[in-house]
Amino acid sequence: MKYVALSACVALAVASITPAAAADEQIKVGIVQATSGGSAALYGTMGKNAALLAIDEINGSGMLGASKLVPIYEDDAGDRGQAVNIFQRLIFQEKVSVIFGPTLATSAFAADPIAQKAQVLVIANSNTAPGITAMGDFIFRTSPPEAGVFPGVLRYAKKKFNLKTAAQIYGIDDTLMKTAYGVHKKALEDEGIKIVDTETFQKGDVDYSAQLTKIKGANPDAIVIGGLAEESANIVRQARQLGIPQSVPIMGAVASISTKMAELGGAAAEGYLVGSTWYMSYDAARNKSFVEAYRKRYNSDPDSFAAQGYTAVYAFADAVKRAGGVGDVKKLRDAVAATKNLDSPMGPFSFDTDREPVIDPKVLAVKDGKFTPVTNE
Amino acid sequence: MNAAVAQFIASYSNIIDLCLLNSLIAYGLFLALSANMFSLATGGFMALGAYSSVYLTMELGLPFAPAVLAGAICGAAAAALIGAPVLRLRGDYFMLATFGFTEVVRVIALNWDSFTGGALGIVSIPRYTQTWHLVLALIVMVYVVHTLRGSYFGRAIAAIKQDDVVAQTMGVNVFAYRLSLFVASGFICGMAGAFAAHLNYFIGPGDFGLVRSVDALTYPILGGVNALAGPVVGAVFTTILPEALRFSNQLREILMGALVVAVVLYLPDGALSVLKLRRRSGKSGSGKVATATPRTKQ
Amino acid sequence: MSVFLQQVVNGISLGSTYAVFAMGCTLIFGVLNIVNMAQGAFFMGGAYFGLEAARLGLPAPLALLVALVGGGVLGVLAELVIFRTLRVRGGHRWMGLVASLALARMMVGIAQEIFGTQVQRYPASTLLDTAWDIDGVRIQLLQIVILVVSIVLMALLALTLQRSSTGRAIRTVAYSEDVARIVGVPVGRTILTTFFLAGGLAGAAGMLLGNLFNVVSPFMGEQMLVKGLTVIILGGLGNVPGAVAGGFLLGLVEVFSVAYVSSSFRDAIGFGLIFLILLVKPTGLFSRFEERRA
Repeated sequence: MKYVALSACVALAVASITPAAAADEQIKVGIVQATSGGSAALYGTMGKNAALLAIDEINGSGMLGASKLVPIYEDDAGDRGQAVNIFQRLIFQEKVSVIFGPTLATSAFAADPIAQKAQVLVIANSNTAPGITAMGDFIFRTSPPEAGVFPGVLRYAKKKFNLKTAAQIYGIDDTLMKTAYGVHKKALEDEGIKIVDTETFQKGDVDYSAQLTKIKGANPDAIVIGGLAEESANIVRQARQLGIPQSVPIMGAVASISTKMAELGGAAAEGYLVGSTWYMSYDAARNKSFVEAYRKRYNSDPDSFAAQGYTAVYAFADAVKRAGGVGDVKKLRDAVAATKNLDSPMGPFSFDTDREPVIDPKVLAVKDGKFTPVTNE
Repeated sequence: MNAAVAQFIASYSNIIDLCLLNSLIAYGLFLALSANMFSLATGGFMALGAYSSVYLTMELGLPFAPAVLAGAICGAAAAALIGAPVLRLRGDYFMLATFGFTEVVRVIALNWDSFTGGALGIVSIPRYTQTWHLVLALIVMVYVVHTLRGSYFGRAIAAIKQDDVVAQTMGVNVFAYRLSLFVASGFICGMAGAFAAHLNYFIGPGDFGLVRSVDALTYPILGGVNALAGPVVGAVFTTILPEALRFSNQLREILMGALVVAVVLYLPDGALSVLKLRRRSGKSGSGKVATATPRTKQ
Repeated sequence: MSVFLQQVVNGISLGSTYAVFAMGCTLIFGVLNIVNMAQGAFFMGGAYFGLEAARLGLPAPLALLVALVGGGVLGVLAELVIFRTLRVRGGHRWMGLVASLALARMMVGIAQEIFGTQVQRYPASTLLDTAWDIDGVRIQLLQIVILVVSIVLMALLALTLQRSSTGRAIRTVAYSEDVARIVGVPVGRTILTTFFLAGGLAGAAGMLLGNLFNVVSPFMGEQMLVKGLTVIILGGLGNVPGAVAGGFLLGLVEVFSVAYVSSSFRDAIGFGLIFLILLVKPTGLFSRFEERRA
């Protein structure tokens, strides 16, 4: 299959010689992120900011020659009906070449089929539920599914802390976290670690003490959290406040990697283990320039959703360049699918044959308030 | 020209469908409100209609029409079941009890993985709902409500709305009328749930919570609870508003809130009271009596 | 045993924030006979006022005062802009509900504009980090402080309502606006005071909860509003002592349904309980007290 992709690349490179001259065009790109209406706004904003940053960089650098990316940004408020409305309008009226988003997997399940049917590319940066890219060959994502990173974290923790038992706590009403929970459970079972207690919480909860007291009573060797950054930070903090000792390691979901996690968790977050494709201090020139540009423009730190949103735009622009414009939809799609070892803030980035991201997973731990790779210890 | 129309429909078909669907829901609430039932059970009824109809079409392979009917009946059955105890409660207690029902349904949907898929929902639902289905349902709905309003039933309901104690002493069986309206409301919401489920390929428990229930109540109240067209006006207004305000993404929520507040403040009997003011007919008195009495009703 | 006691501690500290918040909700209902859906937004606003004050380096009691006054001012503004206009124009009482919901939505939007969507936390302090282990039960200094502050606020409210002339005016208006007018109570000003008190209680509760659970976000009021409504139904609408009891009861019920049933069904159990209570006592658990109001 890799050979096919490679040969497609070669074919494209040859083919792109002719149309490149006619590439003096305005390429409309849609950005659909939730920046209002509930907790989805927390990560929708990241995706939107990063995409706009990447688009301006690409336009400024002349990467696409005389062509320019024209962003059309819409807020779906995390609401599925609105996401569908926006997709229809972007596709049939604005005639965009690609849509970056939507923020939530639930919106994606409703809206992506419209794009697939109309043969318009979708590159998601925050959907980690299974089955997203299975909706069609025009649907891609730069966000790694939980199953791609968590088993590595668990293997590391099992070896280091000699784990025999674990307790799980996760957000039962969140697609992302329910998915993470399933992956965590399977990984624990695969490693032969006994799950002694499973607790849940819901969006908007702030008090986890009842669940954590129960977990404390079950006396596990480790705790695995399926929660977003703010939730995980609070769970970690309240767990330590309730007297669950630092010697009981706490592991989290990919989505919890955020500067917010360490900031909100404070001292309690020290040692928090997580797998990721990206972290702020990742030592690569491409990442340093990204973090610096993001900070300069938005006066705040990016998180992994931002890195994935940024990469989505660059993967698209790179494909446009290779396909020689957006005129031939099939060719453009094939060019995106052929993305290989793209220099991204997350390291070399590729799409596999299922249009899922291929990136090296990294095991990180919070150390002095920062996510640091564990191998550096 | 034809191409322009086709493009318009392709770009806005979902908004049109949502307007129709929400209008349908609005009539379900209109019926409840016409007997002073401030119901927050909408989300629960819709969830029952949605999950049961999807089960029938996807698992049992039934055609769409009977599945929608079954969804509606599920909603109605639930209304009949919780109606008896809940209808004994006064206004605000009733509101909270119906909200409790919606929450319980949502929590069950979150936990019953084998039937509902939990938070992951059910994906790849076939898109059976056509725009004409919704149009037809809405026309039937409006016709039925119109006929009811002119009948003995309608006058009895109007009496209950003004003062249920007086209505009771006049020989109106207040409980039976309320229950039948509540069941009708459940039927319509269940049907709307079935339509909604087969419209956007996906359903999840989050679709049928408090927000859904509160929005549904807002439609007829904003449009006007005394006019037949009130629910449609309110539903269309609230559905289109977020789309119309897209030019200002950041301030959208604030503007939407401000607009609704403005409507409420300046048209306190609903948007359609504009027409009434102009007509200056004696009929607007019916609204006035209702507004003058709320304190004593409690 | 220590697990059981720990859960009792958890339930009481959660319940104390519910109680403070619910007092404001029930006060407005008692006086105006409306459910104010913007109460959750005042709660959120208070948490931000307190947060900004704490960041300016104000000591905790002063920051709490800022949160209280800030929430109160929001309440006064809501009354002046929305509820008073609605009363004058004689709108349907449902309109108050719709308007207050829209107001809440606006305020959440404004908070997002000003403070961003991300969760923030109060600056670290010894108050936040001190805790004792008593026989396996962990008690934080903060939990005790918050319980004490809650009780003080409740006592202050009770004292105001029962002993002061303002309190008498509020109770008269609650009994009947017309009667209040006849006996010469300034109705408009009294309602304004009520909104200040209710907003202030919501704001104070916002800061207490924000400190206890380390969370300040534009969306924090939404869930609290649901809890507040639940509590005032439990306690009987308009019944202040009932709201206090209902607050602690709900806190304990939630914690124990997690502890001894399942965390997945926590909210269903809470609502199921209310359903049952309403079946037996259609006007709330503590409705005996309610006769005092009307």
